[in-house]
Amino acid sequence: MFSRFIIPILLLASAGAVTAASPAPLTAKELASVEKVDSVSIPTPAELMAALNKVAKPNWQSRYRPPIPTTFASRAQIALNLGGLIADGFIAVEAEDAQQVKNTGKDIIALAKCLAVSESVIARGNSIFDFAERNEWNTLKEELEATQNEVKLSLEQQHDTGLVSLVSLGAWIRGTEIISGWIAENYTPAAAKLLRQPEIIALMQAKLEALPPKAKEDPLVADLIAQLPELQAQVSFPSDKTPTQTDVKAVQETSAKLMKRITTKLNAKEKK
Amino acid sequence: MNQVPRFLSPLGLTLRAAGCALFCAATLPVTAAPDAAPTPSDAEVAARASALEVAGAFSNSGFKSRDGHIFAALTPKAPQFIQVNLYSGNQYWFIAAASSPAKRLAVTVFDEKGKFVPTELYENNAQAAAGFSPQSSGPYIIRIQELEGDPATVCLLYSYK
Repeated sequence: MFSRFIIPILLLASAGAVTAASPAPLTAKELASVEKVDSVSIPTPAELMAALNKVAKPNWQSRYRPPIPTTFASRAQIALNLGGLIADGFIAVEAEDAQQVKNTGKDIIALAKCLAVSESVIARGNSIFDFAERNEWNTLKEELEATQNEVKLSLEQQHDTGLVSLVSLGAWIRGTEIISGWIAENYTPAAAKLLRQPEIIALMQAKLEALPPKAKEDPLVADLIAQLPELQAQVSFPSDKTPTQTDVKAVQETSAKLMKRITTKLNAKEKK
Repeated sequence: MNQVPRFLSPLGLTLRAAGCALFCAATLPVTAAPDAAPTPSDAEVAARASALEVAGAFSNSGFKSRDGHIFAALTPKAPQFIQVNLYSGNQYWFIAAASSPAKRLAVTVFDEKGKFVPTELYENNAQAAAGFSPQSSGPYIIRIQELEGDPATVCLLYSYK
């Protein structure tokens, strides 16, 4: 058993020796066998925020949004907004704003209760309050993701597997809205290149397309299926291309439009 | 009854995605267990504990562990490939650890076109990790290989900073 103190030393000792051989490129068959799994293939908003912190000093508080409704009739809309709130929680943690973390945590619990998720999710939400009280920011980042995973687990137990992807999608769209909005206002080429993510929306789209027919009839889900390709095209630029400020603004506008749709309550006519 | 979805790979291997499961429940104030909590196998529990042990070492250097992880049934000569989507500028460690029938693992990183990406490596019997900082944001492919041993359950997770 390696202790946490011994491993870094061994890493330093072994790193140079093991990198000598360069494996052959993957074959077409191997590339075709690549698995895409929600729990590791979709990055958390915190990873994007960490990357932006490397090239800029964002004023995270400027990215807050007004409180969103915490009652929706559609379970799909609740799941999407839960994801969005998780992203809001990451902003509050980046801003090291305990009160905002608590406010967001309260909304997360309120929405989670609408999905009738398990008590363990509620307990997670309560622990967010505790960690915020103690200013444990790094722990809070892990706790927010754990809360999101707990919600997903609970949805799976309710045989609502389709909603799981919507939680991830809501978090990713809100994260993209936040980051692209800041970059659009404080443009640098290095920051703009962070927005490249050609595969994430494709993965999300595939999951939306795989939803049961009834779930796909949800007006919001149908709208997302129709509108996501626009955002996918905007974040699918080649790795050697740098988006212009106009390009970044387009990402921000598209993601903001999607978030507005996600947070807007449907009227009676649309529900039909 | 286990209700966590299983993803059947083209290689006939089984991947299982998981969020928090038992480890978090043991350390945080969970007041009630889910009615139908997925029950990880002993091999999965052992593999994840081993992977978390390695991840714990990186946390001393400021790396934050993702809560998400996957389990895969791995056999020698039949590697598993997982897509991850990363951000340039961040540093990442991808950590794999397997249950006891596995004797030696390797983790290798490729770009979206399948070209090898040089990384720092850590290999210790049934624990292995690869660390690097992507030059561009986007998809990368993590290959987990069992170099020696019998069919085993492997856990993959990652840390970043």
